[in-house]
Amino acid sequence: MKIAIAQISSILGNVDRNIERHLELMEKAIKEKADLIVFPELSLTGYTLRDLVAEVALDPFRSSAFSELLSASKKIDVIVGLVEERKSDPGLFYNSAAYLSAGQIKHIHRKVFLPTSGMFEEGRFFRPGGEFSSFPTRFVPTGLLICRDFLHYGSSYCLLADGAQLMITISAAPGRGVSDPESQGFETSRMWELMGETISFFSGAVVVYCNRVGVEDGATFAGGSFIYSPFGKLIIKLPYLEEAFCVQEVDLEEIRVARKSWPFKRDDRPEIIWRSLERIVRKKEDED
Amino acid sequence: MKINCRLVVKILTNFIREESKKAGFDRVILGLSGGLDSTVGAYLGVQALGPERVLALIMPYKDFDYQGIQQAEKVAGLLKITWKKIDISPQIEAYYSSFPTESQLLKGNKMARERMSILYDFSAREKAMILGTSNKTELLIGYGTIHGDMAYGINPLGDLYKTQVRELGRYLNVPQEMLNKKPTAGLWPGQSDEEEIGLTYEELDSILYRLVDLRQPASQIIEAGFEETKVRRVIELIKKSEFKRKMPPIAKLSNRSIGHDFLYPYDWDK
Repeated sequence: MKIAIAQISSILGNVDRNIERHLELMEKAIKEKADLIVFPELSLTGYTLRDLVAEVALDPFRSSAFSELLSASKKIDVIVGLVEERKSDPGLFYNSAAYLSAGQIKHIHRKVFLPTSGMFEEGRFFRPGGEFSSFPTRFVPTGLLICRDFLHYGSSYCLLADGAQLMITISAAPGRGVSDPESQGFETSRMWELMGETISFFSGAVVVYCNRVGVEDGATFAGGSFIYSPFGKLIIKLPYLEEAFCVQEVDLEEIRVARKSWPFKRDDRPEIIWRSLERIVRKKEDED
Repeated sequence: MKINCRLVVKILTNFIREESKKAGFDRVILGLSGGLDSTVGAYLGVQALGPERVLALIMPYKDFDYQGIQQAEKVAGLLKITWKKIDISPQIEAYYSSFPTESQLLKGNKMARERMSILYDFSAREKAMILGTSNKTELLIGYGTIHGDMAYGINPLGDLYKTQVRELGRYLNVPQEMLNKKPTAGLWPGQSDEEEIGLTYEELDSILYRLVDLRQPASQIIEAGFEETKVRRVIELIKKSEFKRKMPPIAKLSNRSIGHDFLYPYDWDK
């Protein structure tokens, strides 16, 4: 399978121009024979939206702008980030990731963990999603996460338990920390890589992380997108801080090889995890 | 508090390029005083956009800071940037002949605002984004003139303490004399920041770093060996100057008011 990563910047609040850019890059990825192209979090809108959230929201099942992406997805699978607002549920805005394939919306993940502290204020403008689930694709069962979702390791565990062999995180992570004398990028990039290596190895899954770049209101997005193999080996890493595009061959057969060598998935007992969690949650509810 | 200078330069030059372009400018303009901050600002501007896209204004008042003016000219020459010297004495004198004062502070603030006014005028004439060079130290303690040197389009240095700006200056090879120069706001001849503030920049930055970056309470900083009076003074300066770091409050009347719940990004549609 060939995966394209579009480590780009978006125009803040201008969906039409961002869609144009998406279509261009999809064209480029098709030419390079990619099967799937991944865009960053909120790639159709930009990140620092605040009150623009309501103005750039779209219903992916009805929007005419979105239908262009759907048409283009007949030639290549694509993951985009959007502000989702369903016609049937007006006024509820989600920070969502959509997986499009063969002209259809195959899956939508709504960001569950909305960072709302320090420089982040997502909880002020978005409603959190309520689920982690994997879904079938023409390759392998796949799971989507958005930025902070990935830093809560329970999210990836749910995807694993639900059968995901490919875990894709789309991200708009601004960088912080410039004191490490050796680093080519921000210090915060390390936590994503740490998680990528850990989750890929202990899940025997391919882990893809697509982060954006560019500057919005003074904050610089860190870039440094990557793919880890099911053995926890780094397959490709894009540069920090700069726009980049790659098409990377990923051997999906390796998932089987990894899971044979390290049978974490075979030996996993989600029902025990579930019962334990249920007990813990009930106990906590009683205490509260 | 050490910084990775190579990385910082990469981030800041990218910041200058992107944020000025988003605002519709491909050039920057800055006031050059001969001090370290504006020198480092000019070096970063040149690295980001090239010398032909950086304009400098050198704006002396009489011969208050003769040495500074000479050094500013030297920096502009070294960087091969276009520069212009504008003497602000006539307009300052004209004003104070009507409203005389002995206060150096009042005069200094007036001069800072005169320079700001000229920078904004030239920004429009020359279609160049104003590059501010207030550092994190002075922004935090409010050691600057509101609507004077604290007014600008973008500021690449505002998240670097004074001692970090010096480290960056060393990395950028700014002339040694600028690195060793006694920091001065240039409000009156011979003024010294450190004497006026009552702390050295090293002390001040260490306290600020602990307070702001590490979020340590005063008690912990005092325990670590910093003089209590100095720590308390720094906290007081931060508190007293918050108004300089904010847009002024607007009286809320309606359901949607600017500054309260009309919340748009700076880089809207850019």
